Amino acid sequence: MSKREWLNFVDRLIKENEGEVIGVRARGSRFQYAPLESAEELRLDYDVTILPPKKYLLPTHEDLMTFDISKPFEVLANIDEGKRILLGVHPYDVLAIQQMDEIYLGTHRDEHYDARRKNTIIIASDILNVSERSFAGSLGTHVVETGFDLLVTDLGDTVAVTIGSEEGKRLLDTHSETREATLEEKKHVKRLRKELPSRYARKLKVDKYMWQKLLEENYDHPIWEENSKKCLQCGSCTLVCPTCFCYDVDDVMSLNLKEGRRVRTWDGCLLRDFTRVAGGEIFRENIKDRYRHRYYRKGLYLPMRNGFVACVGCGRCATQCLPDIADPCEIMNTLASFSMHEKVNFPIPDVKVAGVEEGLLIPEPATILRKERQTDMETLYEIRPDSGRRLEYRPGQFVEVSIFGVGEAPISIASSPGRDTFELLVRRIGHVTTKLDTMKVGEKIGIRGPFGNGFDVSGIAGRDILFISGGCGLAPTRSLIEYVLENRGDFGKVTILYGCKEPGAVLFGNDLQEWSRKNDVLVKKTVDQCGEGECWDGEVGLITTLIPPLDFDPERTISIVVGPPVMYKFVISELKKKEVPDENIVVSLERRMKCGVGKCGHCQMNGIYVCLEGPVFRYTDVKDMPEAF
Amino acid sequence: MKPRVAFFDFASCEGCQLQVINLEEKILDLIDVVEVVSFREAMKESSDDYDIAFVEGSIMRPMDEERLKRIRKNARILVALGACACIGGVNRLRNEWSVDEVKKEVYDEADIEGNRLFDVFPTKAVDEVVDVDFRIPGCPINREEFAKVVAHLAIGKEPRLPSYPVCVECKKNENICVFELGKFCLGPVTRAGCNAICPTHGDGCEGCRGYLDDPRMEAAKDVLRKYGVSFDEMMKRFNMFNYRKGAI
Amino acid sequence: MGRDIDIEVRHLTRVEGHGNIYLNARSGKVEKVLWEVDEAPRFFEAMVRGKSYHQLSHITSRICGICSISHSLASLKATEAAMGVEISKQTELLRRLALYGENLQSHTLHVGYLVAPDLLGAGSVIPLVKTAKEAVVKIVGLHRTANMLSEAICGRATHPITLEVGGFTEIPTERALLGMREELENAKGVCTDVAGVVLAHADRLPDFTRETEFIALTNDENYAFYDGDLGSTDGGRWPVEEYLSITNEYVVPHSTAKYTRHNRESYMVGALARFNLNHAMLSKEAMEVAGMFGLKPVCHNPFMNNVAQLVEIMDSLVDSIGIIDELLDRGLEEESGEIEVRAGRGVGAVHAPRGLLIHDYTIDGLGNCTKANCIIPTNQNHANIQKDMEEITLT
Repeated sequence: MSKREWLNFVDRLIKENEGEVIGVRARGSRFQYAPLESAEELRLDYDVTILPPKKYLLPTHEDLMTFDISKPFEVLANIDEGKRILLGVHPYDVLAIQQMDEIYLGTHRDEHYDARRKNTIIIASDILNVSERSFAGSLGTHVVETGFDLLVTDLGDTVAVTIGSEEGKRLLDTHSETREATLEEKKHVKRLRKELPSRYARKLKVDKYMWQKLLEENYDHPIWEENSKKCLQCGSCTLVCPTCFCYDVDDVMSLNLKEGRRVRTWDGCLLRDFTRVAGGEIFRENIKDRYRHRYYRKGLYLPMRNGFVACVGCGRCATQCLPDIADPCEIMNTLASFSMHEKVNFPIPDVKVAGVEEGLLIPEPATILRKERQTDMETLYEIRPDSGRRLEYRPGQFVEVSIFGVGEAPISIASSPGRDTFELLVRRIGHVTTKLDTMKVGEKIGIRGPFGNGFDVSGIAGRDILFISGGCGLAPTRSLIEYVLENRGDFGKVTILYGCKEPGAVLFGNDLQEWSRKNDVLVKKTVDQCGEGECWDGEVGLITTLIPPLDFDPERTISIVVGPPVMYKFVISELKKKEVPDENIVVSLERRMKCGVGKCGHCQMNGIYVCLEGPVFRYTDVKDMPEAF
Repeated sequence: MKPRVAFFDFASCEGCQLQVINLEEKILDLIDVVEVVSFREAMKESSDDYDIAFVEGSIMRPMDEERLKRIRKNARILVALGACACIGGVNRLRNEWSVDEVKKEVYDEADIEGNRLFDVFPTKAVDEVVDVDFRIPGCPINREEFAKVVAHLAIGKEPRLPSYPVCVECKKNENICVFELGKFCLGPVTRAGCNAICPTHGDGCEGCRGYLDDPRMEAAKDVLRKYGVSFDEMMKRFNMFNYRKGAI
Repeated sequence: MGRDIDIEVRHLTRVEGHGNIYLNARSGKVEKVLWEVDEAPRFFEAMVRGKSYHQLSHITSRICGICSISHSLASLKATEAAMGVEISKQTELLRRLALYGENLQSHTLHVGYLVAPDLLGAGSVIPLVKTAKEAVVKIVGLHRTANMLSEAICGRATHPITLEVGGFTEIPTERALLGMREELENAKGVCTDVAGVVLAHADRLPDFTRETEFIALTNDENYAFYDGDLGSTDGGRWPVEEYLSITNEYVVPHSTAKYTRHNRESYMVGALARFNLNHAMLSKEAMEVAGMFGLKPVCHNPFMNNVAQLVEIMDSLVDSIGIIDELLDRGLEEESGEIEVRAGRGVGAVHAPRGLLIHDYTIDGLGNCTKANCIIPTNQNHANIQKDMEEITLT
């Protein structure tokens, strides 16, 4: 169509009721996606926008749901079904949107994203001007063949349109006069696309299929340390990235203390508190680790998980980084020139996802049936979903507990499956758990789940079982202990080792007593310290001291190790002294499992999502993960 | 029982309390969920019986210290309101000089020796005198953040400040980086929560919310040098709200 | 038989700034009344020394949260005068809008939140929410409109962001100004309603008169807020550069704020002073409000300052609409100009809501401030307040 006709087409889209038309407009000396008021405002000659069009599919701030805390349990999902047309999307951003689709819709479909995506029409545009820091030409992301409804190429006096979908064709037929492109025009389009890569000043010296190998071999490359010294940890590189998808969720209450919103906002792995859990641990505390993680996620972990390099070469990160250390092109070129060749493996365990896959973000109501105080800090809650459904879970899995107005927290299930109710042991340590502590029997909480990978109960059948639990680690372990004792005949020798700080901190005291009364279970317990005159019938010393005197068959015995982060290294080293093979050790790890469905990014441990592949792991699967212990 | 709330001010412009009034219609919600027992800027009544004390301003004199300690004794929760209370703010700028020198500059030859009203020591933030439970930083405070803190305190959720820098909010607002506009910005080392209001309106961040817990000062200085900011200029900018003797 | 009374009002409420009142009566006769300003001195004039010219307005706006826009503008005018920086007509118009936004906010706060409870027999605006909700909602609405205007121009109502030496870091869009215009139009009716509420209880405003001098900026073009010479109701007109001979600051032992005097023992600044000097420049709508209360110049009843504030609310609304129309007519333009650093001394004066505000800076060749002097409106009123209290209690 002619340029004039093109402008008319855009104006008609704006005026006709096809949805909100979002196009690329000037913002000072740069560009941004914003609602268009007339075709004149559209700037197809832009180089790159400050933020990617992602912001219309996964907004910077989004109310996932609204609730009213003056009612027992009232929540309303906030699904945006407004129709939108995104106009002028460059090929690399089209590809980035395809990646987002894979993440948000591939498994554990996100209904908020889904509704937006379904109602969004993409009118892509071939690149006229190359952004200074882009290297799309080297990645092959400067052109695109699918993923759009229409693709336009500005040829000067005319505009060529490639039809990508039925919906695109309908729009074109309804709102414009077009003719078949001439052979000359088709050639022109082809030539433009073909010549485009040569116009990029930035070029990758290494093929993108080599990124994985390069990263596997350079985990300890000096560049991570050197560059991270200059890093402001401002998060800009992740915030402007079209393929970054991590998010945070928080509850916001209005001042009338009735209505509230659960808000999802963009988050980024460069920020210090990204991996922080309620107890205060930060799992990627060092700036170097966070700086490196971004590159590994883009170039290694996501390619392993999803099959694509999570970088489309738009150059936004490099443009926005004040110290100029965020450019993947430069990093990869450096690694290619000075490779360390020290291969580290980052396997991702193949886990059949056991948890729920639908109704992901909106909690369901459940009632507190019983509260049993265990210690100053810990309380056991018996919970029943109001729907009456029986939670189908395996020992070791967890649920997300919601208290509207306060937030959500992951809590592992402490009771054995197969009942109408389940139990949670909760330590009063963060927002949600502190609030939960004040709630009474009969009050309602929200639950999502179960999530994650539990203990492989059939895989350990017939074996001797050695439980080693420290502190709160007894909660998920108890779920498995109960299961094992309920199916006692399926297992060999059962030994339970439990350790905690002091006699007053002992959890499940009654259960420990009951288990120890059984003549086919050996229970040993210890406390780190015991005050003068305190009543205590166990050992005094660290839990590791219980292992050497133990008599067990290392080949027949499966060790289940669950406890605070510091415990693993020492316990496992004691087990190794007993010549326990790695494959006989099972661990459960704590991370910040915010969403439970492998999207928010917080629980990631190298390539692993603890909320999907964990929290229970075979030791062999994680022992070489640098970030695991 | 509604929590009883009191507002107090020390050396300050009282602009933070004004932000409470600037909640406009939302004040009606506020006085619904808390009982305001003292608010000098807006109320005649006052009481010493309160749960939550909001304290605005820096501490300058022994007589102010005494009053602040009484407030701390009465309050179950003490919240420092604004830059002057949280970090000393602009009031700290004068600590560059001795007390005698600044007195001479402003009051010249006037006879104020021994007068308790003029008996000042170097500016202190509130937590240099008493324990502070929570902080609402900023110059002035962000009224939305104030409303959020009050709502959180009322429902029993511990208020927590953002641990990330202003840049995060600035990027989400899709601003052109003010460095690109040839300006100076403390956003990378300053605690967010203001919705990057200054960069959003074309001016650099002045650091009024105070530094992050682990500001990347050396990296920030490298960047400033790269953009041609002299050491002297850097000192002045860093010091505006975060003056520390002999350091930036 | 008279009694001995000692009254001590500590931390006087519902005022800007901090003050205490001490009154001693012996045998039924008041012997002494003292207005003590005990707020901690903050030494702004000392702290700006050595700071860059572009920091001065940002630091000095922190002198007063209620009139931070006025402080910014007085500071910018002084800086621009010292360095010889010219500003555009657009900048001047936008600055005047900013001042009006602040004036509207401050006056609404004073008349609506601080004074109205006295008139309506309540301890504060909080109980009024129950007894006079309709009036409170109107006052709150007017206050919100005022802050919207400041925010539209300055980015933030308290401690403005966009005001800078030579102009603005960001100018409002035409669409924002159009929206603001509609808000202001609606607010005129609200202003009349609020004036009506005050009028219904105006008999509670004390009928008290003490002759004094009124000082304000004055010019021949408009109801002076942004610009003008110094004028006095005792006669005389001086360029602002001669302010020292008018303000004559001095220190008293019971006040950390300095006192001032000119022709008499005290003078007054503020809305009433402006009205007394510049009433001829008021809009028709504002004069109608004055007429409702029978306010005529020269009025010597300090309590009528509240009425003068109501008059100014209307005038600020009317004039703001006029300025917006002028801006839209001219079309808004992004302006940018390099600032050339130059040594010099400059005086900048504007009207803060509470009255005449003057900043005086000396700037060196590097653009750093070497000397500063700020004359604050409230300080100029302290002597007058003391004299009024003496007159009320001692006679």
